[in-house]
Amino acid sequence: MEFLKNFMTYLEFQSEELLLATLEHAQLVLVSIVIATVIGVGLGVGTYRTARPAAITLAVVATMLTIPSFALFGLLIGPLGLGATPAVVALVMYALLPIVRNTIVGLRSVDPAVIESAIGMGMSRRQRLMRIELPIAWPIIITGIRVSTVITVGIAAIAAVINGPGLGKDIFRALARIGSPFAVYQALAPVLGVIVLGVLFDVFFLALRKLTTSRGLR
Amino acid sequence: MTDAEVMIRLEGLEKKYPGQKQPAVSELTLEIPKGEIVILVGPSGCGKTTTLKMINRVIEPTGGRILLEGDDVTDADPDKLRRRIGYVIQQIGLFPHMTIGQNIALVPGLLKWDKSRVNRRVDELLDLVGMDPAKYRQRYPKELSGGQRQRVGVARALSADPPVMLMDEPFGAIDPITRDRLQNEFLRLQEEIKKTIVFVTHDIDEAIKMGDRIAILRDESRIAQYDKPEHILSDPADSFVEDFIGHGASLKGLNLKRVRDVELANWPTSPQTATRGEVLEALRRSDQGAVLLLDEQRRPRRWVDARSLDRTDKPLMETGLPPEAIVSPGTTLSDALNEMLKSRVACAIVVDDSGAYAGAVDIDTIMESIQAMRVAARDESRALAGADMTGDSS
Repeated sequence: MEFLKNFMTYLEFQSEELLLATLEHAQLVLVSIVIATVIGVGLGVGTYRTARPAAITLAVVATMLTIPSFALFGLLIGPLGLGATPAVVALVMYALLPIVRNTIVGLRSVDPAVIESAIGMGMSRRQRLMRIELPIAWPIIITGIRVSTVITVGIAAIAAVINGPGLGKDIFRALARIGSPFAVYQALAPVLGVIVLGVLFDVFFLALRKLTTSRGLR
Repeated sequence: MTDAEVMIRLEGLEKKYPGQKQPAVSELTLEIPKGEIVILVGPSGCGKTTTLKMINRVIEPTGGRILLEGDDVTDADPDKLRRRIGYVIQQIGLFPHMTIGQNIALVPGLLKWDKSRVNRRVDELLDLVGMDPAKYRQRYPKELSGGQRQRVGVARALSADPPVMLMDEPFGAIDPITRDRLQNEFLRLQEEIKKTIVFVTHDIDEAIKMGDRIAILRDESRIAQYDKPEHILSDPADSFVEDFIGHGASLKGLNLKRVRDVELANWPTSPQTATRGEVLEALRRSDQGAVLLLDEQRRPRRWVDARSLDRTDKPLMETGLPPEAIVSPGTTLSDALNEMLKSRVACAIVVDDSGAYAGAVDIDTIMESIQAMRVAARDESRALAGADMTGDSS
């Protein structure tokens, strides 16, 4: 009980800084997800109709996800230095797999009869993609984006090792002082921020999916 | 056929898939006349669907030419070609994320019609296929039954008023009762719209019922016989066609004749207000077993026979049987026979558009038509045997 009371006092005391760090964190995640969505949906659209290129693309983006995050951030210091840029690059790499995979799965799940009737009606390749296939695949694609976002919210904390923005800085600072009186609060507060942010993004994308999916597909 | 009467001409059309020795379609030449329903029918794997899909080049031919209204469209822009040709497939393939209205409006939209014209067209087409526009325009495909989806599929194919429609087993995935109704509706619709329709089925009965002409296809889409249904039934070209039609060609002929084509049987009727005595008198004067009671608008209300007339404990309208097996003049004799067999009085009641009694079809009516068809077929094949068989044998 004593612990909780002290923690609340700490949160109150640090609220402004915590809020700022949380907003930075959210911004880092959002920028990365927007870039990953553009690249990921592009890769999916470019490869879903052919078996081999799709398999190769999926293997490459899956491999990216297996690189330990600490190592990847470290490796990026060489070419990109420190700060926000390498952090975004690393997060985009991690966010790609769910988006690419769901784009391919979504586009492939469109009923062949629907595509055949679209062809038979005289829709061009581009018209079919934009007006039929992508809208039908959309609920699956946006689910991929949602999964990527939640993964990225967690990994983004580690961006602090290369001086990236966000809640990670506070966590690492606290870990360096473990044993000192406030270290536990100092570590717990940003972790809580990461969790809250993750839940908020999750709810946001659930709502967005509902809003942007045709009633005929629900 | 003169050139002006030909809508589609296939010349030496061929499809070979790489790595396969046998072509799927080899050297097919076929003329499809304007305003008729031509059925491509044959056993599965005979290439009939491939042939159909080559007409709008959903499958690209590897040889031969396709002429549409005299224009060679073999190398034309396929998307532009397809917008001139309605296309209905068995699975229908409505776009699930679009409303019924949006589905129908799609091709007019591609053709850049203005919005008010598109909206008018959508309502007109929904009316045409018997669906209330106000009720269905905003619905989604998943909210419709199979039969309704099929109607929307036809409306969508007709949206830009194409001169030609291609239909690949359009009624194949629908239960038999609904299928029958949709077939009849479609034939009525065709009387209005007079499109040139190429229709694929594997069902010879459907072919006979729906077709103005039937092309019976064997392997590689080779034509075994191309003729009007009555000639195919009365005079099959070879044993392949004979086997394909199967036995009971006379029974199949009942699919060709409609109630309005035959002389209806006379069954006794009485107004529903008549007394028992008057009804009994009507029954005695006829040689049938029951009297049909009619209301003021001459709509059939009740069958009564001698036994129910004896039961004086109940009013006349509560004795006897309700009228079953009610058919219209456009019903085929085959369907009327089916109805009759289901009903407890051995006769199908014919009513006109207003629902008024017009006569009856009973087993004698059916037997007479079969007899007449046999005689006609015999005479015709005798005449054909002695005549030159070139040209249109009609």
